[in-house]
Parts: sequence; structure tokens; C-alpha cells
Amino acid sequence: MAELHVIGQIVGASGFPQSSLFCKWGVHTGGAWRLLSGLKEGQTQVDLPQTGDMAYWSHPIDLHYSTKGLQGWPKLHLQVWHQDSFGRCQLYGYGYCHIPSSPGHHHVRCVTWRPLGSWQEQLAQIFVGGGPQLRTPDLIYSGADRYRLHTEAMGTVELELGIIMRHFDKYGVEY
Amino acid sequence: MASPGDIREKLRKKRRALQGSLVKNKNESDTQALVPSTKLRKERGQTMMEELTADEEDLGETLKQRFRAQRQRRKKMLLEQSLAQESNESNVDEISTTERHSRRQRSPEKPADPVVLSRPPSGSQRGLSPLLLSPSSSYSERPQLSPSHSLTEGHQHMPSSVRSEHLMRQRMKEKLRAARFKAESLLQQEPSLEPASRLQSLRHRDRDTLTRFDREVDPDRAERDDVPLARVKFQDVAKRVKQDSRMAGKELPTAEEAYNFFTFNFDPEPQDETDKVKKRRQKQTETAREDRDEEGHSDVEEQEDTEVDKDNEDDHEDRSEETPLVRDEEEDLFIIEQSSQDFIDVRRADYIGYQKRIQRDSELLFTPSLRTVPTSCKLPENMQPRYLEEEGLYVGERPPVSATNENILENRILKQEEGKKWFGDDGRIMALPDPIKESSTRPPLFHMEEDLDPALQTVYRKALTSKYASLYIAGGGDPEGDYQLDVDVSGLIFSHHPLFSREHVLGARLAQLYDQYLTRQHNNLTGHLTDKLNGLRNALRNMLEIHGGQALTQVMQQRISEYSLEVRNTRQLRDSEQEKDRTLLKNIIKVWKELKALRDFQRFTNTPYKLYLRREEVERAADEREYESEILAEVVELEAESEENYQKKLSEYKKQLEEWKAGRRKQKAKKKKKKKKKSQSQDETDDDDDQDASEPDVAEEAPKPEPPEKPDFEAIEEQVREKASRIRRKPGESILIPDMSASGSITANELCPRAELARREDVARHSLFIKVLYNDKEVSRTDSRSLNSDFRVHFGQIFNLKIVNCPESIKLQVFEEVGSSCSLLAEVFVPVPEPSVVTGNVPTEEYEFSSNQRVMFDHEGVGSDVPFSFEADGSNKQTLLTSGKLSCCVSWGIGEDEVPLAPPMSQHTGGIHSGLRQLDAVTCIGASGLSDMKKIGEWARESRVDPNDPKNASIMQLLKVASSGEVIAPEYFRLEQLQEEFNFVTDEELDRSKRFRLLRLRNQEVAEFRNYKMVPALEREVTDKVFQEYEKRLKEGEIIDTKEHLDSHRALVAKYLQKVRESVINRFLVAKHHYHLSDMVIEEEVPSIGGAGPGILGLNLFKLAEPKRPLKPQRKERKKVTAQNLSDGDIKLLINIIRAYDIPVRRPHTSKPLATKPARAFVETFGAGQAFQGAIHGTDWLLGQVQVRPFVEVSFQRTVLQTTTADGPNACWNEELQLPFSAPNGDYSTASLQSVKDVVFINIFDEVVYETGVDDKDRGKSIHTRVEKRWLGSVKIPFSTIYSQAKIDGTFMVDTPPVLLGYTKERNFGTECVYDTVRSLNEGAFITLFITVEPQLVPGETIREKIKEVKFDSQEDERLLQVSERFEREAALQYPNRPCLTTVIDISGKTVFITRYIRPLNPPQELLDAFPNSPQETMELVARYVSLIPSLPDSVSFSGVCDLWSTCDQFLTLLAGDEEEHAVLLCNYFLSMGKKAWLIIGTAIPEGPTAYVLTFEQSHYLIWNPTNGQFYGQSDTFCPLQAVGCLVTADNVWFNIQRYSAPMRISFDVTKANFWKPFFSRSFAHPGLSSVQPEELVYRHIDKAAAAELQDRIEKILKEKIMEWRPRHPTRWNRYCTSTLRNFLPKLELSVGRDVADEHRLELQALLGDYRIAGFPLHLPFSEIRPIIEAVYSTGVHNVEASNVEFALAVYVHPYPNNVLSVWVYLASLIRTT
Repeated sequence: MAELHVIGQIVGASGFPQSSLFCKWGVHTGGAWRLLSGLKEGQTQVDLPQTGDMAYWSHPIDLHYSTKGLQGWPKLHLQVWHQDSFGRCQLYGYGYCHIPSSPGHHHVRCVTWRPLGSWQEQLAQIFVGGGPQLRTPDLIYSGADRYRLHTEAMGTVELELGIIMRHFDKYGVEY
Repeated sequence: MASPGDIREKLRKKRRALQGSLVKNKNESDTQALVPSTKLRKERGQTMMEELTADEEDLGETLKQRFRAQRQRRKKMLLEQSLAQESNESNVDEISTTERHSRRQRSPEKPADPVVLSRPPSGSQRGLSPLLLSPSSSYSERPQLSPSHSLTEGHQHMPSSVRSEHLMRQRMKEKLRAARFKAESLLQQEPSLEPASRLQSLRHRDRDTLTRFDREVDPDRAERDDVPLARVKFQDVAKRVKQDSRMAGKELPTAEEAYNFFTFNFDPEPQDETDKVKKRRQKQTETAREDRDEEGHSDVEEQEDTEVDKDNEDDHEDRSEETPLVRDEEEDLFIIEQSSQDFIDVRRADYIGYQKRIQRDSELLFTPSLRTVPTSCKLPENMQPRYLEEEGLYVGERPPVSATNENILENRILKQEEGKKWFGDDGRIMALPDPIKESSTRPPLFHMEEDLDPALQTVYRKALTSKYASLYIAGGGDPEGDYQLDVDVSGLIFSHHPLFSREHVLGARLAQLYDQYLTRQHNNLTGHLTDKLNGLRNALRNMLEIHGGQALTQVMQQRISEYSLEVRNTRQLRDSEQEKDRTLLKNIIKVWKELKALRDFQRFTNTPYKLYLRREEVERAADEREYESEILAEVVELEAESEENYQKKLSEYKKQLEEWKAGRRKQKAKKKKKKKKKSQSQDETDDDDDQDASEPDVAEEAPKPEPPEKPDFEAIEEQVREKASRIRRKPGESILIPDMSASGSITANELCPRAELARREDVARHSLFIKVLYNDKEVSRTDSRSLNSDFRVHFGQIFNLKIVNCPESIKLQVFEEVGSSCSLLAEVFVPVPEPSVVTGNVPTEEYEFSSNQRVMFDHEGVGSDVPFSFEADGSNKQTLLTSGKLSCCVSWGIGEDEVPLAPPMSQHTGGIHSGLRQLDAVTCIGASGLSDMKKIGEWARESRVDPNDPKNASIMQLLKVASSGEVIAPEYFRLEQLQEEFNFVTDEELDRSKRFRLLRLRNQEVAEFRNYKMVPALEREVTDKVFQEYEKRLKEGEIIDTKEHLDSHRALVAKYLQKVRESVINRFLVAKHHYHLSDMVIEEEVPSIGGAGPGILGLNLFKLAEPKRPLKPQRKERKKVTAQNLSDGDIKLLINIIRAYDIPVRRPHTSKPLATKPARAFVETFGAGQAFQGAIHGTDWLLGQVQVRPFVEVSFQRTVLQTTTADGPNACWNEELQLPFSAPNGDYSTASLQSVKDVVFINIFDEVVYETGVDDKDRGKSIHTRVEKRWLGSVKIPFSTIYSQAKIDGTFMVDTPPVLLGYTKERNFGTECVYDTVRSLNEGAFITLFITVEPQLVPGETIREKIKEVKFDSQEDERLLQVSERFEREAALQYPNRPCLTTVIDISGKTVFITRYIRPLNPPQELLDAFPNSPQETMELVARYVSLIPSLPDSVSFSGVCDLWSTCDQFLTLLAGDEEEHAVLLCNYFLSMGKKAWLIIGTAIPEGPTAYVLTFEQSHYLIWNPTNGQFYGQSDTFCPLQAVGCLVTADNVWFNIQRYSAPMRISFDVTKANFWKPFFSRSFAHPGLSSVQPEELVYRHIDKAAAAELQDRIEKILKEKIMEWRPRHPTRWNRYCTSTLRNFLPKLELSVGRDVADEHRLELQALLGDYRIAGFPLHLPFSEIRPIIEAVYSTGVHNVEASNVEFALAVYVHPYPNNVLSVWVYLASLIRTT
């Protein structure tokens, strides 16, 4: 019966090789969680910053969950995509972060990575775009042996999340 | 029972409580005592002593103080005396005393020893600055003077003090006694009472010399003393209390004290000790004094004496230290002279020099150096560091520690005791290698080299996917990998085959044995062992010889015994080997003999085996000698062995015997003792008995051990010889060497008996082949080879397998083919080779196989799994199974450039560190074995991996885990295990939560909860009521509420519509979520400089320069607002009512009947009627101006606004009305706005002023009038139209009732000629309106447009769809304002080509029969029939989802539809009536994009409005159709490509190619689309009874409603009038509302002459009751407030075929005029 509000925004991303970016996002929860209202996935617009490196989306996130347990605390997974001058989109990074578990305002920085691929693929990526993607994007947040992947560090996605928790204390959860 | 701890706790508590009370008491008594004490000190402090000793706990303390006081007093006297003598010294004295005063406060706990004095400065109170040290120390010499001075006088005590001394003694004794009794209550009271009395007297004396101390009296005290002390300082008191408590309650520190204690820098000497010392000192002084006084010693004193004796040593010190004590006394002596200045002491800030501090710190602290400790310091003396790593031992990696830290640690440790034990052999500090846990917390990962989790795979998008995708070899990393596995199947040998003959069996056995023999021979184990044995024996002998006779060392003995043991073992081994050799040889010979016997017996030979036995002669003598010596050696050894054994046993026996004897002796002794006893007490006889009894006792004890037998050497020799003869060649016997060859000839077939022949034939029939299976898939098979008579098959084939998948198993299946049937004989599993195993360097290996198939033959073949015997009698049966050996080899192929085509081991470079190492294990076991823990374990054991090597850590850990069974994979799979345990609540509880449900339903946009604004925060605030409606809907989904619908059929239809709607909504949900840029982003157009259009800078500048023309306002583009950021009150509906034409004018009230006249002669009638004006209107009429005073009332969403009243039938208002708009549920989304069902009612009323009569009081000075409004007509415009059109601008025909009682059409003579022509067809009033929404809403894009992106499934031809799309697109490009429709969506959501809807359909026969002679009227009737079907905009019914076209039968079943359906139906009817008809797709007012019907009559075109049945000529200006987009027939669609789109300006001749663009042309011919319409429409017959029933119900409901709307007035119904009206209504229906008005009016007039009647019939198609009620309400008839008003209401329902109903409601209000 505990409730969790996640209200905030995906502020933007920085540190990517190109700054014409957009972001696909989704919230993944365990089975104990129920979405009462709000959209748990979406996609931001493409931001092409005129100045600076940071792409700003200010994409709102407003979720209301109820839960019967702590397992499967919501995780936010992000995919940052780059739209090039030809309008083609290519993956620039995967990332995930947990929704903060203490109430209040949080500034979350989610670092991202992307699969590296073989050198041929890297070469191809330079010239014709595209790039290796995960077959199963679930791996972003559930991969137990993700360490086997060859990855490359990409930029950071910044989020501002306000957490409101309710009735957690009723079940002995302190924060 | 309380535990000791409890008891202790209790005790502690009690003590604490006691202490608490004591402290309180103390404070009390002390504060009380303070004043006296100071005074009494002056008075020799006698009382003070009593008081201060009140506390038993502070006995010592008080004693101390007392003595100090005593001393001080004495001192004072001494000083006084000595002052005179030593005047020079007294100066110093005085200074010091003042100082002492200031220090007095700390004196109690400050023993006088120098240690205390020299201690560092402390707080302000007790601060003793170092500066003070010098005066005090200088002074410290001073007090020594006085004792010495006194001592020089012979005695310590001054004669003058003798008296006081004596007094003192008495007091002391009292005190001691008191202390001993420890009567608390007494002690408390004593001090408070005694001094009080004394004080009284004292104070008198001391009044003038009051010190500050005297003033600081406890308030309580002051009260008791009833001496009001004016200046009592509470703060001081408090301070003093603290001070006192410090002085008195030494043992119980106050908070401040405690704080000071911990914060001040005390010297290390424990407080207790000083106290003790003090006490002791006091006691000593006391005893000393007592001694001198030569008084009797009390017990206590005795004890104290002994103490003194013990502390003799201290005594000396004490003596010397007593001097400072004296000095202390001195300070107190002058306490009385202390002033406030004495307590304040101004000093310099305390500072200790840095160097000094460092110096002091260095004494206390130890700072380990940072320098590296030389290794020699860390190791024991004379030891070289030993590096284990260099010695090859594995040493774990040390955890990283910075060198500085390590150095510091080492330095520190070395200073400690046993510091060196922390250092290892290498001189480094010992450290655990790796603190990481050995067993993982998560299950181990199996790293198959190539088997990467598919989930981990990445895919390169936009690039070619590799040939070898996931789960293949090379882990997806290297798709180029091209691997080849060579499987070489060389051959097959059967060791048994069902077709074996007996001879074959023997032969095979012989061959087997011979093979065995050969291998044994090759290994020559016997020889090896013999050599070893000899070697050992020699060694042993040598050893014994060298040390012969000498005493053997322990080590040697040990070694000898070891050797002999080895010899014994080796001998045994050799013996067994020899025996085996021998038996093998024997067996070979035996089998050969059997074979020979068999051959002889059967007289033919089947096998080519031949055994030769070569005989190797040996030298007999040497051989015999050797044999003998061998036996001898063995015998000797055995003898030695048995001797040794015997000795051992013997010693054992001796020991046992000894024990036994001892036991026996004991027993005997016991017995004797017993005997003695017994002899004393009993007779001899008894004694005997006893002895007898004791006998079994002995027997019960351990039996006497048997001495071991002496070894029988003879027997040993015999045994040896016997064994030798059994297992060894006899001496001199020649060595037999078998030699088998297959050179024998096989008997030819002809010579064999039949059974054998059959077998051989059978053998020849058999053939074999081998299938190669890779990963359980057959990849290839060998050629079939026939079975030879020797049962060997040679294949000699090599298969090159190009593999992509990871090799899991390689399997060879042996198949036997007999004739055409083939059967699987056996399977051979071949391990997957290591990558290093490549073709060319691998020998073929033989893999045994066997089959348990049971085969039986009727010929010579022995079969398989069948018992057979070699004996004639059938005994000694044997059963053999088919078995054999397959020789093959599997290896990795070699490429052209000598590169092995094996998958590389290190496929994954980097990233995998821990897993990689265990690959060697993988290769060793083979990939398939990896999952088998046992195999890994075996491998680990065999290969002896270093368990310490971190490289093997993962394997060791794996093994450990595996062997301990810690990690057992469960056999089930569960998601979110442990969830249950940690659940807060159950699912049911979650489901029960109403609040959550509400939130969820709102989120799901369930109709009832969509835009539900406030969800309560608390569960209990959510009422069940909220869900009632929703649940009802869910529950009663099937049940139809007939009450609401009045008509069961329509209820069903509504139900069906609802269902369709739901399904359609679901279908279109996807489309709904498609957003366009304009939905999300409002982009203001930036005025560009260079751009085209209005943005041109120059033009703009020019505009600026332009003179302002306020009378010619420029139209400005309004800003469009998207719906999302709106809220209630933001949206306003702007309605500009400009003017109206031809509003009916009032008819003078007259009772004069008028003659009936033809319809077209209205003007004349009216003109005639003008003369008969009523009295009331006379003035107006005379003026010729006011025929009617109309005003317009606009009602929308129950908001009603009205214009001012204008005059005349052609009124002009030009007024703007603003109506607020609120969306349902506050949802301003596009979808919601589109589905707003509200309608703007624009009603035209006539304002009628009635005089109610002259007020009697005022006598005609004022006239009372009543204003009434009379409904004249209305225009209804749905909001959805306004919303989708953004603005509505035009002249609309006012929907006037066919009859308006009291009104008539006015013909303006002046304008008649102008309008007459255009009004020929339609009469009625018109109103010009301009309606818009402010701010301008972005018109909701209908889903239809979005659907174009979403593409619905269609049964249309793909080509057709493409063409239609292109057609529409082109049309939209060319003429964006002309609607063009080629495809529509049918009710099931499929795209259908529009022409399919057009098909001639029969109208109801009743209609056709009505006017058999007049096709014109029939057409009108048909149009009317169509218009009577209620219109329900799709956008409303489908909430803006899309525009659905239902077929005519669906339409007629639903009885509700859009304009399109009406138009289609009408068009189809006209077609069936033989008319030329088209469907017009165009735009009209107010519907917007709509469909009309065009018919061609002789020479002119008629445009039919299907929703109201009106028709217009092409040139009719009032035709609502504004633009024609396209025309549709059953064959084609024509798009209007003319310049204009208005119907009166275009040509409808579709044959003209430059006017109309056909869809199907020569380039794309009509494909012959079939119609979606049914062939024929079937109508239900008229149900008059149902209509009558409905009529009654409607009437009843309406009457109720009218009464309801008039809550404050009685509503009377004029029955007579009602019945008249009811009779009149059917006539209206028949004449379709035309031409009956006057007749009817006159009729009414005649009947109700006395009434002023205002009323009208309303005509509606029937759909539901609600619109009827709305319509009645909007007329406002009920608003008549005259007291004498009566109402008349009549309803008539006219049924048409198929349940189409025409509803007439006649409503009239009657006011009696007389």
C-alpha cells in the first residue's frame, strides 16, 4: 500500500560525441509494483544545441506507483540516440539508474555506455553510421554478465527527480 | 532468584540513591554551614568542624579540613608570636597569605606536595599560574620556619594553644563517635540547630566586620535567621554551593567538577592516592599528637598506628611535606580578610612555548618514524631474509599498502613487546594474501569458450548481419571463423558378431588373448618387477653388510624396515604378475587347443588363425640355480618376516601377561583383605565359602593370554615352493613363446556343410556403414561396406566437416544393412578434439562399442545375446553380445597455409579474465564435460593443480563449491523469489484499495473517471459511490434500460452503437497516440526579413508608414491555441448576431375568422388582416413600425444570454455575445473537445409587453406591464461544428415552427420583389450569424487524417488504394478547401472505396404509394423520410475517432447516422426511383464537410439536404451548401476542378473533362467494384400501437418536465385546448407543416376566443427523449409567469416504415383575456 511518486524531468545529456540527441526512456519495476498513473516510458524530442555540448530535453516524468514490497525498486533505463544530419538515428548509449529511494529532490546523473563491436563495425560506424546494439535491451538493467561486453563509455544523462514516498514507514521502511 | 548481576544492579541503584540524598544533604548542610564556618574559623573553627563532618562519607575530607583549620589556627598564633621576631620575613608572609587566600578554594583537593604545586595552570578558580610558582616555592621555605621555630622551643605545640588543643581533642572524639554512629538524621539536624543558636550571638559581634562571605547567605538560612539580608546574590550562592560541594563532596564530583576533571590537564597521579596520602598524613599527625598527649589509644588509632608503621618510608616524606601543609593553614588563617579582589586574579594569558610543548609532548608521545626499517632489525639475530617466492613457493599477492604507512607500522610494532613476531621470514610484515571470500555469493559462471549468452550479443544495425550469427562458434566475435573438423573413419573390427560361428568366437577369443599377451609382453611388467626386487634386495643386503654387527642407528633401522616392506610388496606384485602371465599363456594354449578340436570336429576351417608355440631352451643348471636361489631368498625373507612377526606378538603377549598377572595379584590382595576381615568376624567355614565365591571373580578377569606360536619355517618353505611351482616356469623347462598368425586357409564354401554355408551367405549379405553425427545432426555417412568373413570392415573415409556451431558431440553410428533393411547396431561417441589436435599428427584411436541386440540364427551363426555352448552336450553355456572396435580419429583440419582450422581458445580477448584461465580445463575435459562437475573434479585431481595458484582459484573454488554442494541449482524457476516474505500487503489488499482503483481508472481514461480532478489522499475519503456508476455500467452492460429510451428498438440500437463505438475506439487508440508537431509545438512565425509574403521587410516598413485607418480595420490572424494548456473559463464562445430577415410578425388578436387562402396568397391575406389590428397593438401598428420586437437569446451549456430587443421583422442587432465554455470534466484535449455534444441554441423571441392593468392606488399614474417572450424560432449549431470549423459565418434559416399562433409571416412590400424569386422554395426567417471560439482552438485534426498514416486493413485492391491516395493528395494540393473523398472507413474499420456505397435501393413501398401521381411529391416524401432518421454526427458518437460510413441497411438498423449516411440513403432512393442522382461531397453551413444529394430534374439540378429533407435549386442563395468538392456515383468519382466551388457558379456536367476530373479514366478503368450495399432493403411495417404508446409516454414526460421547470407557479393544463391541438397535429404531419396554419388558427380562435394563445408545434425526428425535452425547454414556453396562464401540450408520433418516427409536440400557453 506504500506509494511512490516520481516527479521530475530528464534534463538533458552531455558528454556525447555529437550533441544532436534524443532519449528513449522507460521505467522498469518488479512485480510488486503497480503503476497507478503516469507514463512509464517515452521518448524525448531531438535537441540540437546551438551552443554548448549539453542537449536539453526537459522531458517530464510523472509516475505514481503503489507497491507491496521493496523488491524491484523502479529503475530508469535510458537509451540515448543521435540523429545525424541525414535524419538517421543511431544508438549512442545505454544507461540505467535506480530511482532514488529517499524522498526529496535528487539530481541524478546516469552514465551511459554503448557496445563497441568489432573493429569492422567500428569502422563502419565511422563512415556509414549505425552501430552495434544489444539484441536484448533488457540487458541494460538485468545483465548479470554484462561485463563480458565490449563497451565504450559515453556521456551522461542528467535527471532531476523528486521523490515522494507514502506509507513506507507504515511497513517499517525508513529512509 | 535474581541473578548476581541483578543484585549488583540493585545495590548500585541503592547506593546511587543514597549518594543523591547525601549530596543534597551535604549541600544543604554546607550552605548552612558556610557562614558559620567562616565565622567560626575566626572563632577557632570549632563549630565548623562539627558541621563539616556531618557527612559520613566525607569523613576523611572533613577531618582533613578540620585539621587544616586547626593547624591554621595554631599557625596563626605562631605567626603572631613570631611576627615580632621576624619582621623582615613577615612581609613575604603577608604576600603569600593573600595569595593563599585566593587559592583557598582549591586547597581541599590540593595536597601540599610539590607535585601539585608544580602542576600546570588550570581554570580561573583554581588556576595556579606558573608565575605563582616562584613566590610559592620561595614561600615554601617559609613555613618550615615555624615548625622548626616551635621545635626549637622544645615542643611543636605552643603553650598558648594547649587549651585549644584540649578543646580540640574533645571535639575530635565527639566527631569520631558521631562518624561511627552514622546517624544521618541526627547529623543533619545537629549542624543546623547548633550553629543557629550560636550564630545569633556571633553575628552581633561580627556585624561591623561583615565580609562578603557573611553577606552570601543562603536565602533559606536568611529566612530562618530572620535577618533580612538585603543583598543576597543568588548567583553567588549558587557558585558557592558548587564550591562547597567541591570542598565537601570530594568523592562525588559535581557536573562542573567532572567537566573540569576531564578538560583540565591533571597530573598523572591518581586523585585517590593523594587523598589517601592526605588522609594518612592527617592520621599520622593526629596520632602523633595523641601520642604526645599520652592518652589512651582507641582501636582506630591502633590501626592507624600500624599503618604508620607500614608507611614508615612515607613518613619521612610526609614530615618534609608537612611544611606546605602548614602553609596552607596559614592561608586560611587570613580568610576573613579576603575581599572580592582576593578572588579575582588578573593574569596573563596562559601560553607554553612551542619548543617546550614539543619537548613535553615528546616525553609523552611516541612518533614512529617514516623511514624504512632495516631488514636486520626486523629479523632475529643473524638471520638472512628468506624469500619464499624465490624458492618457488607460491606466495599470495599482498594487499596494496603505501610504503609510508607500512614503515610507520613497522616502526611502531618494533617498539612493542614481541614486536618481531609480526614479521615474516622475508623481513616484511606478515599479511594475508587476499581477503576476498573464497566462495562466491552468486553461482559460478560457466564460461564455455564460445557460448556467450545470447542476451549479451550485440547486433550491428544497418550493417550486414554476419553469416554466422549468434550462438555459433566464435562467440559472435569473429564471423570469418571457418572451422573444419576432420572425422576419419578408418575401420571396424567386430569382437563379436551374431554371425560369428563357434570357431569365430574362439578365434576372436584367441586373438584377444594373444593381443593381451602381446601387450603384456610389450610392457614386461614381470621383468620390471623382478629387477626391482633384486635391486631392493641388494640394497638391503648392502645396508646390513655395511653396518653389519654394529648397532644400527634409528634412521637406519627405519630405512631397513622400509626396504623390507618394499621388498615384500614388490615380491607380491611380481608374483601376481607372474601368475597372470602364466595363466594367460595357459589360456592361450587352451583356447588354441579348443580351436583345433573344433576345427577337427566340424571338419572345416572358418578362421585363418594359427598359433605356433616357440620353445626357447634354457640352460638347465643355471636356471635351476637361479630358481633355487630365488626360492631361498624368498624363504629367508619370509622367515625373517615371520620371525619379526613372532617377536612382535611375543612382546605383546608378554605385556598382556604382565597386565594379567598384575590384575591377578591385585585380586588376590583384595581377597586376602577380605579374608582377613572375614576371619575376624566369621568362622572358618564361612571363610572357605568366601574363597569359593572369590574363585569365579578371578575367572571373570581377562583370560590368560596365549603365547604366540613359533613360526614354522618348514611350512614356509613348502608354501614358497608350492607357489613357485604354480606361477613359475619349472626350472629347466623351456620358455614357450606363442606366435599367432592369420595365415591359415579357410575352407572353401563348397566343402562346408549347409548350415555353415548359410551363415557365410548371410555374412555376405550383411554390409555396414557409419553415420557421422555432429551435434546430434547427421552430417555424413560412409559408403556401405559388406561384412568380410573375418568380420573386419574397412572404410578409410575422411569427412571434412565445416562447422559453425560449437561442437558439442561427435557421434558415429554403426549401421548394419541386410538387404534393404538397415538397423542401428551401435553408437560410438567420439570426444571433441582439442584445438591442438590437428589432422596428420593424431593416431587413429579405437573406440569399443557394443550392442545388446538379441539376434538369433538358424544357421551356424551363434547370434548375439543367445546362449550357446562349445560342448557337445550343451553344457557350459556362454552368452555373447555384439561388440567391436571402431577405429577412427577426429581432429581439426588444417587450412591451406598450415593454419589449424580450429576455433581459437582465446576467442574473447580482454574483458574475460577470470573465466579465461579455466579454458585449459575445458579443453582437457572436452566441451561436453564442462557441465559435469565430476569430470572437472577428476581432471583437477589428475592434473594436480596448485590449489594456491590464483590462476586456478576459480576452478578450485568451483570444485570446493561443487564438492560441498553449497550451490545447488534449484530444479524450479521462480520469478522474484522471496517476494512473498517481504510483501507489505497481499495483492488482494492492494486490489481492495479504492483509492488506487480510482487512480488507475482515471489513468486508464475510463469514461466515468476521465479527467476526474481530485482523488482524495486518504483511503477512507474515497466513497463507494464513486464506483457505483461504473460498476453499474459493467454489470448492466447487457441489460437495456427501456425507460430512458422509451423505445425498445432504439435502446437496442443505442446498445449496439455503444458496442461498435467501444470496439472502434479500441481500434483507433493507436492512431490517437500519434501526435503531430503542431499538437506539441506552437511555433510562432518569426517575421522574416527576406522571406516571401508579409514577412518582407520593406513591406512591413511600408506598413508602418501607412496612415492609420481606424475605420478600415485590418484583419489580424488570431493566435491559435492548442487545447492542452487550457482550463475552465479560458474558452469563450463568441456569437455575433448580426441581423435577421423575415421574422414572423404578430398577428392582431382577433376573433374574426379569415377565409382560407392559397398558400402563395399569403401577402394578400395579411394585407387584409392588417386592418384588424388589436386594441393592444393598435398604437404600434398605427405607427407602422413595430410589428414584432424580436430579440435573440443564445443558450449554451445552460448559460443564457440575450441581445437587446430590436424592432421589426428584419431586425438588426449586430451584437456580440460571449458565452463561457467548459469542457466536460475539464478535459480540454482535442479528443474531448471533439466529442462535446453541447449545442448552441439560438432562439429568436418576440418581446411582448402586456398591460396588466392600472394600479388602483396610483390612479393611472403608472401602468403596470408584463413582458413576455414568445418563441419564434431557433437555430441549433452543435459545438462540434464550431470547433471543427473554427468559425461559422453565414445566414442560416431559422427553424420556425410551421404554425405560430398569434404570428404571421410579414411580407415587406419593399423587399418582396427582391427576395420573392429566391424565396420561392423556402419560406422562413433567416438569421445572419458569426460564431467563433475565443481563443482560437487548433481544430482537432480528425483521426481520419491520422489514420491515413496508420493504414487500415482493407479488402480493396492495393493499386486502387494507391491511386486513390494519389488522387486525394493531388486534389488537396490543388484545391485545399474542396473536400475530396475516395475512400471511406466502414463500420468495421476497413477502408472501402466510396463508390461501393452508391447503389439503387428501394424506398419503403408505403412512401411510393403515397403520391402515385406526383413524382415530385414522392421525392419530397422520401427526402422527408430520410430526414426523419435522427442525425448523429460521427464525431460525436465516436468521440472524434473518425468518420465512419455505414451501409444503408446498417443505417436503417441503427436509425442514427451522419449526413453521409443520410445522403447515401437518399441518393440510393433517388436512383432507385429512376432519377439521375449524385452524391455531393462538399462543405455546407453549418455542418462543414458534408454530403448532399444532387438530382437532375429535366433541365435543372436540385440540391437536397438529406438531414432536413429540404431541396434547393442550383441558384438558390440560401442553399447551405457552400462548396462542392466532388461528385460520386456508383461508377466514378469526379473532382471539381472548376474555378469556383459554390454550387451556383459551377456546372454539374460531369462529362466536361476540364470541369470535373474523373477518378476512373481511360488510364485507370473502373475495375468493376461491387457494392457494399445490400441488394434490397427490407423494411419493417408501421407499428401504430407502439407509436401511440410512445406518444403517451412522451406527453406524460413533457408535462412532468414543464411542471418541474415551473416550481413556483401552478401549472394548469387546458384540456380542451390540448385535445384540439392533438387533433390538429396529424394534419400537420400530413401536410408536412405547410398551409394549414391559418385554418388551424381560425379553428382555435373559434374554440378559445377568450384566450390569448401563444404556441407552436415542434417537429422532431425521434431518437431519444432528451432532445425533445431540450427543444421544449429552449422555447421557453414554460416561462410565462402570468397568474392566469394555462398550458396546452399535445404530442403526436407519426410512424413511418422501419420504425422511423416523426414526433410533433404542440405547445401553447393560454391567457384568458377577459
